[in-house]
Amino acid sequence: MRKLFALLSLLVVASMVLAACGGGATTQAPAGPSEPAPGGEEPMMEYKSNDPTTYFRPTFGEPETLDPALDYETAGGEIVSNIYETLVWYNRQKADEFLPQLATDWTVSDDGTVYTFTIRQGVKFHEGGDLTPEDVAYTFQRGLLQGGYASPQWLLAEPFFGVGVDDISIVTAEEEIKRLSEIIAAGGELTEASLGMDAATFAAFQEALTAGEVDVTDLEAVAAVLPDVVSAPSDDREALSAFNADSLKASCEKVQSAIVADDAAGTVTMTLAQSWGPFLATIANNWGSIMDKEWVIENGGWDGSCDTWQNYYAMTSEENPFTPIANGTGPFKLDHWTRGQEIVLVRNDNYWRTEPAWEGGPSGPAALERVVIQKVDEFGTRFAMFQAGDADNLVVGSQADYAQVDPLVGEECLYNGETADFDCAPVGDGSGPIRVYKGYPQVLHTDVFLNFGITNNQYIGSGQLDGNGIPPDFFSDIHIRKAFNYCFDWDIYIQDVMVGEGVQTLTIPVAGMPGYDLNASHYSYDPAKCEEEFKLADVDKDGIPAGEDEDDVWNVGFRFAATYNQGNTARQSVAEILASNLGSVNEKFLVEVLGLPWPAFLQSQRDRSLPLFISGWLEDIHDPHNWYQPYIIGTYGRRQSLPADLTAQFQDLLNQGVSETDPAKRAEIYAQVNQLYYDYAPGILLATATGRRYEQRWVSGWYYNPIYSGMYYYAISKQ
Amino acid sequence: MTTYIIRRLLMVPVLLFGVTVLIFGMLQFLTPIQRSALYIRSEPKTDKAVEGVIRQYGLDKPLYVQYWNWLVGVVDNNGERKGGILFGDFGYSRVASQPVADLIRTRFPNTLDLTLWAVAPVILVGIWLGVQAAVHQNGIIDQAARVFSIVGTSFPTFVFGLLVLMIFYANLQWFPPGRLSDWANRVVLSDEFTRYTSLLTFDALLNGRFDIFLDALRHMFLPILTLSYINWATFLRVTRSSMLETLRMEYVTTARAKGLPERDVIFKHARPNAMIPVITLAGFQVVGLLGGVVITETVFTYPGIGQAAATAAAQLDVVTVLGFALFNGFILIVANLAVDVLYAFVDPRVRLS
Repeated sequence: MRKLFALLSLLVVASMVLAACGGGATTQAPAGPSEPAPGGEEPMMEYKSNDPTTYFRPTFGEPETLDPALDYETAGGEIVSNIYETLVWYNRQKADEFLPQLATDWTVSDDGTVYTFTIRQGVKFHEGGDLTPEDVAYTFQRGLLQGGYASPQWLLAEPFFGVGVDDISIVTAEEEIKRLSEIIAAGGELTEASLGMDAATFAAFQEALTAGEVDVTDLEAVAAVLPDVVSAPSDDREALSAFNADSLKASCEKVQSAIVADDAAGTVTMTLAQSWGPFLATIANNWGSIMDKEWVIENGGWDGSCDTWQNYYAMTSEENPFTPIANGTGPFKLDHWTRGQEIVLVRNDNYWRTEPAWEGGPSGPAALERVVIQKVDEFGTRFAMFQAGDADNLVVGSQADYAQVDPLVGEECLYNGETADFDCAPVGDGSGPIRVYKGYPQVLHTDVFLNFGITNNQYIGSGQLDGNGIPPDFFSDIHIRKAFNYCFDWDIYIQDVMVGEGVQTLTIPVAGMPGYDLNASHYSYDPAKCEEEFKLADVDKDGIPAGEDEDDVWNVGFRFAATYNQGNTARQSVAEILASNLGSVNEKFLVEVLGLPWPAFLQSQRDRSLPLFISGWLEDIHDPHNWYQPYIIGTYGRRQSLPADLTAQFQDLLNQGVSETDPAKRAEIYAQVNQLYYDYAPGILLATATGRRYEQRWVSGWYYNPIYSGMYYYAISKQ
Repeated sequence: MTTYIIRRLLMVPVLLFGVTVLIFGMLQFLTPIQRSALYIRSEPKTDKAVEGVIRQYGLDKPLYVQYWNWLVGVVDNNGERKGGILFGDFGYSRVASQPVADLIRTRFPNTLDLTLWAVAPVILVGIWLGVQAAVHQNGIIDQAARVFSIVGTSFPTFVFGLLVLMIFYANLQWFPPGRLSDWANRVVLSDEFTRYTSLLTFDALLNGRFDIFLDALRHMFLPILTLSYINWATFLRVTRSSMLETLRMEYVTTARAKGLPERDVIFKHARPNAMIPVITLAGFQVVGLLGGVVITETVFTYPGIGQAAATAAAQLDVVTVLGFALFNGFILIVANLAVDVLYAFVDPRVRLS
C-alpha cells in the first residue's frame, strides 16, 4: 500500500512538473517593451504575440444557429458576418454608408420600389460552388418564406410585403381571404367543399355569420366576415400547412415574383411593396447573407418549389440543418464548432477580394490564419487569459470590471465624434501591454417598460389597489407613468452605475440618425413633481384625484415587483434606484426588486405578466425605424400591452417616417413621435452608455462600426 | 462474502427504481411544454401545438403510463421511437442544442479523466495528512494540519480557484485553464489522432503523443490543485479523528505491549481499521468528482459534466439538469456498490455478518 501510494504520488508530481515545464513554447506571452536604447533615448515599444497568425477571443455566450436567415443574436451574427457575405457592406466604420460587396452595383427606380443588383462574377463559395444571381434570389426567397417571429425576417418582410405585414403567414392569410372572397363573389352554395375550408374554419365561419346576423345573400357582407375567421397562423407550421394549397402556392409565388434572378444578365431585381428608406441598410446585415442554393438543397433545405415551402416555415434552430454548418463566400471558413467550448474559423485562401473595399482597407486573403472564439463564462478566467497573453481581446462583464483592467493600460484611444475614429495616446510611461478604446457611442440602450395590461397576478401581489398589490391596469393611468418618470434619478444611475460613462437617453433612436434630438422633451429627477403626479392619478377611476381620495393610490399605497434578468447588476441597480426614490416619496409605495433567470424573464415579458421590467434593445439596422417600431408597436409595444388607440396614433407617423427618404423630412416626422412618447410616457428612457474595448497592443486594424454583431476579423492583424 | 455481494447486487435494481421514481416525480413539477423536451427538440409555440404534443406523447395520461413512456419512449407518427431512458435517451437539451445523452457522452470522459488524475492527490494525500496529524497529535505537524484544515474548509472554491489562476497562470503562465492548448487541440481534432478511449490523457499516450499528454496535464493541474486543497481538509479531519480513536483501542495498546515497532503498530494495526469511515467518505468524494465539480470546472473552463450542468441550470433547462441528476444517481449507486464490496474486504465483520 505504501509503495503504491509513494509511486502514485511520485508519478503525479513528476507529471505535473514535466507538464509545467513542457509546452510553454506554444503559449503566447506578452513581450514587454524592449530595453532602452543606448544613449538614454525613449524605449521603443514593441508588443509581439507568440502566435501572430491566430486571434484568440474568450467570451461568454454562444450562437443559437449559423443559418443567416434564422440567426437573430450577436454571438451567431459575428460568425455569420465573417463566413457569409451580403450584397452590400458597410463603409468601414460608417453604419449608414454602403459599398458594393457581392453586388458590383445597383440601380433604384424613381419611385424607390425596384432595386436591380448586378451580381459579382467569379466568386466561389467555400465548398466550391459558383455564386450566381439564382443563389441571391433563392436566398432572399428562402428567408422570407422561412419567416417566423424568432427570426430577423420581419425586417425584410415589411419592405417586400408592406408596412405591418411582418411575416409570410400574414401574406398567406391575406391570400386565403382573397381566394375565399373570389369564391363567394362567384355565388353558389357555401359549403366546406366549395370553399375548400377545413372543418374547424368552416364551423367558425358559419358561427360568425350567425353571430353577426349576416344576410347570406349579401355576398359582400359574407366576405367581410372572413378576416374574423381566417387569421395568420403565426409561428404555427401545422396550422399554416392546413391552409388551402392554392393560397399557400400564391403566397410563395408572390415572394418569387418580387425577387427575380436573371442569370443571363447577371442581375437580381427586387420589387418592394413601397419605397423603403432603409432598404440597403436592411439587406447589408447578416440576414442578407447569400447562400449557395445547391448546397442548401443538398443539405436538406428548401428545394425552391412553391409546393413545399410551408414545410420549412418558422423553422427553429434545433431542427434547422444549417445551425451547425456554414458555407459562404467570406474571408473565413468554419473549421469546427464544439458546442459549449469553441468555434474556430480558418482563413479562406481563395477569397475573391483583390481590391480594398475602402481606402487602406484589406484585400486578398485575411492576415489572420485562424480565429478561435472560446466560451469562457467567468470574467476572472477571461481576465487571467488576457493577462497571460492567451487572449487578444478582453470581454468585460460590466463596467465594474474596468477598475481591475485599467492599471494594465499603456495606450488609450478616445473616440472622436467628428471623424468617427479614435485618437490614441500613451498612458503614463506608455509601457502597459493593453490598449483601451473609450467613449464610442453604443447602439443599444436599456430602459424601463411599463405594462398597461398585466395578464396575471404573479408579480402584482393581490392584483388590487389595497396597498398589497396593484390592479392590472395600474400603468394605464398617465399620471402614474409620469410619476415614475419623475422619480428616477439619472445622475446617480450614470455616475454610480455607469461609472460616468453614459448620457441620458432623450429619444428612442440613438445618435447619428433622424429622430435623435438633443432638444427633445425629457423627464428629470424631481421628487416634488413625482408626488404631484401621484396625487393627480385616479387609479380607482372614481373621478377623484388620488391626493383627495382615501381609497386611491396616494393614501393606500402599492406593492409589485420590478423585474430584470438575473445577473445583470446594472439593471438591478435601476430597479433599486426607482424603488428607493418611490419609497422616499411615500413609504406606502413598495417596489420589490426581483431578478429572473433569462428564459423566465423573456417568457414573462412575452406573456405580458411583468408590471415593470428593465430591458434593452440593440439595433438590427442603423435606422430610426428599427428603434421606434419595436419600442412602440412591435416587440416592446406588445409586451407592454399598449392600447390600440395609442399605437394607432404612433403607427401613422411611423409609416410616414419609414417611407420617407429625405432625412430632414424624416426628422420632422420623428420629432412628433418623440413628443408623443414624452406626453404618454409609456416607459422611462434611461441612459445610453459609451463603450470600452480592451485589446492587446500587438493587435491592429480594429475600428468601431456600431452595427457589427461582433468583430470583423478580415480587417484585423497581429504582430 | 458471496452472499453479501449478491445481496448488495440485488439491491441495485430496487435503488435504480427508487432513483427513477424520484426524478420522474421531479419532472412532474414541469409544465407540459418543458416536459416535451423529453421527446421533441423544438418547443411548441402555440396552444394548439402544445395540445398536440401533450396528446401525442401522452403527457396527460395517468402517471404510471407517463412513467412507462419515460422509461421506454413513445413511438411517434413516423414510427420512430422518441425518448426512453432505458434506451439512453434522456431528452433534448435546448440550451446545449443536442440530446442530453450526447452531452453526457462528450462531457463525461473529460470529467472522468480529471477524476482519475485527481483521486491520488485528493484522497491519498488527504489520508496521509490525516494519519500524520494523528500520529503527531498536538505536535507542530498536527497543529499546522488543523490550521490548514480550517483554512481549506472556509475558503470558497471559486475564490481559491481564481487565486491560483492569477498566480500560476496570469502571472507565472505555468498552468493554463481549459482542456488543451490550441496547437494540441488541432492535433486531437485531426485525422492523425485516434480517440481510443475518449480519455484525453490516455489517448495521447496510446497515440504516442507525450507532448499532448503533458499539455492535457498542464491544463488539469489547477483544477486538481483546487479540488485537492478543498477536499484535503475533510479527509484530514475524518482520518485524524478516526486514527486517534483507533490508536486508543486496547488492541493497539496490546500491540505496543508486545513490543512491536511503532511503525508497524500504526500502519499495520491501527490504520486499516481507521480507514473504514474514510472509505465511505472516499466513495462519496469520487461520486462527487464524477458527477462534475461545478465551480471548479466553471472557473477553469474545463469542459466537464459539471460545467454543462451549471450552464443548463442557469438557463432553467430542467430536463437537462434532471438528465444529469439521473446519470449521477446511477453513478452513485454503482459507486456505493463498490464501496460496500470494498468494506467487505477491509472489515471482516461486514462479510461475516
